[in-house]
Amino acid sequence: MTVETTRNLEALAAQAQTMMSVFTKAGYEAVAPSIIQPADVFLDVIGEGLRARTYVFTDQDGAELCLRPDITVPTCRLHLERHADPVTPARYCYNGPAFRFQPQGATASHPREFRQAGIERFGDKSREAAEAETVAIVVKAIEKVGLRDWTLKLGDLGLFSSVLDAADVSPNWKKRLDDAFLKPLSFRKALKDFASAARVASPGVPEELLSAMRRDEWEKSEAAVAVYLEENAIELLGTRSLADITEHLMVIAEDRKEKPLDASAIELIERYVGVTGPATTAGEKIAALLEGAANGAGAALETYDRRLALLANAGIDLNRVTFSAEFGRTLAYYSGLVFEVNSASLEEKSPIAGGGRYDGLMRAAGAQAEVPAVGAAIHSERLLAATVKGAQ
Amino acid sequence: MSKLTLAIPSKGRLMEQTTDMFARAGLVVRKVGHVRGYRGEIDGLPEIDVAYVSSGEIAAALKAGSVHLGITGEDLIRENISDAATRIRFLQALGFGFADVIVAVPACWVDVATVHDLEDIALPFRRLHGRWPRVATKYVNLTRRFFGSKGFGDYRIIESAGATEGAPAAGMAELIVDITTTGETLRANGLKILDDGVILKSQANLCASNAAAWTPEFEKICAELTAALSASVPVKATSRV
Repeated sequence: MTVETTRNLEALAAQAQTMMSVFTKAGYEAVAPSIIQPADVFLDVIGEGLRARTYVFTDQDGAELCLRPDITVPTCRLHLERHADPVTPARYCYNGPAFRFQPQGATASHPREFRQAGIERFGDKSREAAEAETVAIVVKAIEKVGLRDWTLKLGDLGLFSSVLDAADVSPNWKKRLDDAFLKPLSFRKALKDFASAARVASPGVPEELLSAMRRDEWEKSEAAVAVYLEENAIELLGTRSLADITEHLMVIAEDRKEKPLDASAIELIERYVGVTGPATTAGEKIAALLEGAANGAGAALETYDRRLALLANAGIDLNRVTFSAEFGRTLAYYSGLVFEVNSASLEEKSPIAGGGRYDGLMRAAGAQAEVPAVGAAIHSERLLAATVKGAQ
Repeated sequence: MSKLTLAIPSKGRLMEQTTDMFARAGLVVRKVGHVRGYRGEIDGLPEIDVAYVSSGEIAAALKAGSVHLGITGEDLIRENISDAATRIRFLQALGFGFADVIVAVPACWVDVATVHDLEDIALPFRRLHGRWPRVATKYVNLTRRFFGSKGFGDYRIIESAGATEGAPAAGMAELIVDITTTGETLRANGLKILDDGVILKSQANLCASNAAAWTPEFEKICAELTAALSASVPVKATSRV
């Protein structure tokens, strides 16, 4: 659906007004960040993958700018400009256009120019309460404009870490598994590799150097790298120093000495990743697979159960909620709870709303440390299409 | 009746090699009108209108369908046309204009041999320097697609119009994506190709645009031209696809 008729434009405006009044009544301040944003923040935070989907351009002064691909990052920047201490609690809501490049053949529910209405809240101390409230307000706004057939999908990127804790995985392994989890394409291969060795060095990295690395003899190790470069007539150039290169060689050498990942941990991880289904029973599934885990189910399940209870308290019908352990792994900057609202009237790949926790984003946008942050955005054109369809 | 349009490079080595190639196939390409003009024809194939186009713009002309056929490097097609698979048909690899699009890092990075190793150093690099490693290139799309297919996203692209090999030594970027034929320039600039860093082995191709208006007549002429050219391609230049 395009907005290029007066009727659509008016319908979208009316819909936005209804949603914004839900947000402002709940105590969210309406803000309108700039449409044109510095490209840096987006590309740095989300990485170059984003460039493929963002309209990036250079202005007459050579500054790299973009048409905002979402309104979350601009709202973070606005918050940082207002508050010297970014942990200052604040709640914002917005409604306006965002822009994403769509490849040839994209469907009508993926327009390159679309409107987002959303909320972002920063600095909340009570994590699960802030998350449940965010979900509840989004659902309320969606219901208020007339959508009845919504379903809610939940994921939790933090739960994976908790499962690793339960399995008593070492901190070094935990870090590596957490990283690997966020790369679904290579995750299974990574797990398989970890079962045989913590790390296999690329064949192209000189063995003689790797075996010369000793952390307790740092200077000697660094000297070995310098000698290797000299003997092979390689000039040291560029931004990375001899120390940077030595440190990385050191890490590779140390990783190689670590024991492979325990088979029982691998089995647990594989079973966890496969958990999916109604939210009310997913908790039991996770409990079952954590039974007898080294450190007990503990924190992982507590968080899960508390969150569901809070959602139910906030008036969410849990029968409409599903949970998927894998959901959210590919979503740019989220770090904890992730959720998505779908409608039976639209295809699965076209969620009406999405959001979650993104504590790390504010640091990437310029804050000194992580800031508790939860938010969600509603895709206005899809919501309108779904309500129109639902009413027919 | 309108004619079948063939775009060929308007100057430089690619133009010479194209003309030679046609000559070997027994086809004489000559300019029409002024010697500095940009139109030409092929003796014996009067149905074909030749347009001399700067090699960088041939991909754009094929993409838009303003020419039916074009001779240009596969690298330029893949870089400039996001949906090349549907818009372009690669009719014949021509056995010249060889160039590999590659990822190269400073040779002194003895700790980095693969894209996976790059991924490994990106975060420590960012902690130390406050930004992701920068990749200098003019192949923005190829770079993004290649790294994307390997699950690597922690880098920043710096667009570079020329002398890209010098960027790491000049401190403008940490690594590059560029074309190379012999690797000589890379070596001279203290760079090495990653072991899994060949993005594309490119050469000049005869390409057809699916966006242009084709008639059965044009298809027939096109087939004749392709057959004539393929007979004179050196054996090693077998068509990919």
